Amino acid sequence: MSEHENQAVLDKKALRAQKKAEKARKKEEKYYLASQWQLMARKLGRHKLARISLVILGFLYFVALFGDFLAPYSLTDYDANSKDLPPSAIHFSHDGKYVGPFIYRTEKQTVKMSVAEKSAAQRAAKERGEQYVPPTNIVTDETTPLRIRWFVHGASYKILGIFESDLHLFGVEGSAKVFLFGADSMGRDLFSRIILGSQVSLTIPFAGTMISFVLGLLIGSVSGYFGGWIDNVIQRIIEVLNSLPSLPLWMALSAAIPAGIPPVQMYLLITVILSLISWTGLARVVRGKFMSLKNEDYVMAAKLAGVSDMKIILKHMVPGFMSYLIVNLTLGIPSMIIGETSMSFLGLGIQAPATSWGVLLKEAQDVSSIAMHPWCLIPLFFVVLTVLAFNFLGDGMRDAADPYK
Amino acid sequence: MGQYILKRVLTFIPILLIMSLVIFFIIQLPPGDYLTSYVAGLKAEGQIVDESELDSLKERYGLDQPWFTQYFKWMWNIITRFDFGYSFKFEAPVWSTIASVLPMTIVVSLVTMLFNYLVGIPIGIYSAVHQYSIGDYCFTFIGFIGMAIPNFLFAILLMYGTYIWTGTAFIGLYTSEVLVGLQQGTMQWWEVLGRGDFWGRMAIPIIVIGTSGTCGTLRSMRAQMLDELGRNYVLCARAKGVSERRIVYKYCLRAALNPTVSGLSGVLSHIFNGSTISAIVMNLQLVGPMLYEALKAQDMYLAGTILLVMGFLIVLGTLLSDILLACLDPRIRFSGRRAE
Amino acid sequence: MSEQQEPIIQVRDLHVSIKMDEGTLTPVRGVSFDIRPGETLGLVGESGCGKSLTSKAIMGINEKKCHSDGEILFRGDGGQVIDLLKLDPRGKPIRAIRGKQISMIFQEPMVAFSPMYTIGNQINECTMLHITRDKKESKAITLEMMKKVGIANAEKRYDQYPHEFSGGMLQRALIAMALVCKPRLLIADEPTTALDVTIQAQILELMQQLQKELGMAILFITHDLGTVAKMCDRVAVMYLGRIVETGTAREIYKYPRHPYTRGLMGSVHKIGSRKLDRLYSIEGTVPLALNLKPGCGFYDRCDARVEGTCDQAEPDLYCLEGTHCAACVHCRKEEKAK
Repeated sequence: MSEHENQAVLDKKALRAQKKAEKARKKEEKYYLASQWQLMARKLGRHKLARISLVILGFLYFVALFGDFLAPYSLTDYDANSKDLPPSAIHFSHDGKYVGPFIYRTEKQTVKMSVAEKSAAQRAAKERGEQYVPPTNIVTDETTPLRIRWFVHGASYKILGIFESDLHLFGVEGSAKVFLFGADSMGRDLFSRIILGSQVSLTIPFAGTMISFVLGLLIGSVSGYFGGWIDNVIQRIIEVLNSLPSLPLWMALSAAIPAGIPPVQMYLLITVILSLISWTGLARVVRGKFMSLKNEDYVMAAKLAGVSDMKIILKHMVPGFMSYLIVNLTLGIPSMIIGETSMSFLGLGIQAPATSWGVLLKEAQDVSSIAMHPWCLIPLFFVVLTVLAFNFLGDGMRDAADPYK
Repeated sequence: MGQYILKRVLTFIPILLIMSLVIFFIIQLPPGDYLTSYVAGLKAEGQIVDESELDSLKERYGLDQPWFTQYFKWMWNIITRFDFGYSFKFEAPVWSTIASVLPMTIVVSLVTMLFNYLVGIPIGIYSAVHQYSIGDYCFTFIGFIGMAIPNFLFAILLMYGTYIWTGTAFIGLYTSEVLVGLQQGTMQWWEVLGRGDFWGRMAIPIIVIGTSGTCGTLRSMRAQMLDELGRNYVLCARAKGVSERRIVYKYCLRAALNPTVSGLSGVLSHIFNGSTISAIVMNLQLVGPMLYEALKAQDMYLAGTILLVMGFLIVLGTLLSDILLACLDPRIRFSGRRAE
Repeated sequence: MSEQQEPIIQVRDLHVSIKMDEGTLTPVRGVSFDIRPGETLGLVGESGCGKSLTSKAIMGINEKKCHSDGEILFRGDGGQVIDLLKLDPRGKPIRAIRGKQISMIFQEPMVAFSPMYTIGNQINECTMLHITRDKKESKAITLEMMKKVGIANAEKRYDQYPHEFSGGMLQRALIAMALVCKPRLLIADEPTTALDVTIQAQILELMQQLQKELGMAILFITHDLGTVAKMCDRVAVMYLGRIVETGTAREIYKYPRHPYTRGLMGSVHKIGSRKLDRLYSIEGTVPLALNLKPGCGFYDRCDARVEGTCDQAEPDLYCLEGTHCAACVHCRKEEKAK
């Protein structure tokens, strides 16, 4: 190797080392120059539970978004012969041969009885003071396997409300139906209904939070900025609203919704009702922050530097407590979810034909129905999962937003 | 101190007045009123309607006048005659209608509140003092779950559980014998309190209604205690040679109780939320189911009065917590207001 | 000062380490010093160098996650020597020493008192714990001490809450609380940093006067070199968890040997210096005591570093004339020459 070449290699090495050092320096610089949000995101990423919660919530919202595609059946699909069927058993091999995932046709059939037997049973039910229900048997036809197919055509819907489609992720050949989570008392697929119900249950709290966010920010800042009698009046109103138990108030408000209005309007009204009460906490926080920040040195400094009021509010004050607000909002979502679920459960919220998790839980209204069809509690699992995930996420965000941690 | 209490009591009155206005506005929102639909129903069935009685009711409550006139009449009757209106559904004055369920509602609420604090505070302290111990993790986990399960489903799950374990279904607060006694007036509500079986039946409702609030108290108590334990005065007390026990109970607990006490009205409203829906699900003879019926039937005075009573009790709770807070925290006593 | 007397406290090779997710942080790495009765030792260094952790380690009041190693030998009332680190930090024996034999004045008086109880109650707690169980007698002792530290109208002040006190008054109350049991060692952790300059001077004088009266030893922790010159007999300069230079106040002020000490001295504003002279400032920042490189901790910031020597091993403490020692390779030659 010539001297010259040697020198070139050395130069290259030196250059590479320099670049490496530069990169490391940039990385470090990035750390020190990271914005408040980047720092928060980094801290949040380190919070294990919050991370898991974020993934779970992301998954749930994804499912809700593409619910019509993922759910094998539509809200209105029902089957009189499938009332209260337990979750379908998925088999893989038939007659010792592997055929892939399939089910057997399962139906409810009325037990055949003689006229005498029937009248005796009717009489017995009458004596017990119960209504006569003809006894049924669950009959499984194990002769023909019905394969589960991917991407089948079924009920039509609109993807994201725009494109018409009738493709579903999976379905069964023939006229039989697969009930992954069992069927409800009207023979509707619980799995599909949970997915489609999540479109309501997961978005109402979000929309409600947005409304209460705007209301809280607006009213809170007016109260904190103007002070005086305006502040006094707003504070009294907040105190009054806080002194009323939220659920009874929600009930009273939703009792005012006229029966039989279209689902979209009902959805909007329920959202507004939920957010009408929950803005108060946020308004208080905003007001308190405004009051304390008003006297903060850096605000005073900006004022002395001749920055306009509006700019001080938007550039200096709001970013100062924005993270705090978002944490507050996240922690407020669970109570909205529970509120919507409770009201729908009572029949005061979302009503058929629309559905939500609360509506689905109506099936679990008494002990005997749970004892007979325990799968009607599956929606509960999703409610609890979502509420927990929002709680953990909010907790993680609170820690991340705390600059002293 | 006396002046402080007086000041708080005086702010109590305007709040109650605004509250009654808000409530009345909400309950008259549904279009139409009970009497009109009731009369229409009767006429459709071909029954004779006593017009003069209807007219006197209409006149008395101003039912054919604008809502704020109705509101003033309602308030006027309440203030001057303690007349909360007439329940069309139960066909009796509102006050005597709710009198059959109100005392028991208050009893259940108070006991639940006791349960809330007696369970939430000690566990919160334990969790904070033994932070990151196995016990702390367990309680934190239970706390989260307890807050995440909706009251009414918890009720159903518990009822189902007791049905499976004991073989008897849970049905209401009273045995049938007591229920009959209460309905016929041979028994008064306070006599029920002396019965052992009543308290046994109370366990499930209290757990159901109180769990989410208790978990909330537990979590806030833990957070507050941790906050206080990290303060400098704790270090200073340690440097004086004060024992850990005394530091926890003399210094930290008293400071940490502060937000817990100021959250008293929140706990109370939480209990009302819980008791409303759980009572409907579990068929308890409390005001919750009555409110539900009243709202469904547009029985506005009954619904309004129930809301008003709940609001009144919560405001009363706020007042109590303010006074308690002033006793606990010298800073509030002197400055005369809540430290937010 | 009384050189012959046995030291009241001997700290030997004290390490304080904190376990974190990223590794073990060791903010205090082998600190040793003695303090004799009636003597004042100044512990100087910039924030984060481990001064406060050292003092809290002596008291045994560091947080649970901090682990202390080494020896802290304390000579008790009867002359018996106790290793404070061997005692259970929450146990009874050390609690009997805390507040009674060794007491501490904290940095910020505003947060050292609980806002929930009266000042009198909190000072009296100390008296009740260590001196007498008799309420009347204890209150009398407390009131006497409150008067001694210059709290006017002590009877009335006794029943007042911390928020009714001014900062200076609170610091006096804090001193009263520390001294009410007449401790033999007082640890003052930056007792005047949070106060106005005029009040600072008053408080320092008060401490000196009380030291004379009670004959106690003081460990005075500060980053203010002016205060050290006024208060201390001996000085120990700390950097990155180690003592880099010790000696009498005179030795250190007149002939600072460690480059760090020299830097510190250079960054003090002196009366009479010309306006145009810029204050000297030490370049760079203190490295984090996590996964430290080998070699002198001051290496990166030192203007007298010797490449190939200073970055190899941490220098020992080399003794020069009298009690003057410094941990710098430049002093090694001098020690040898001597």
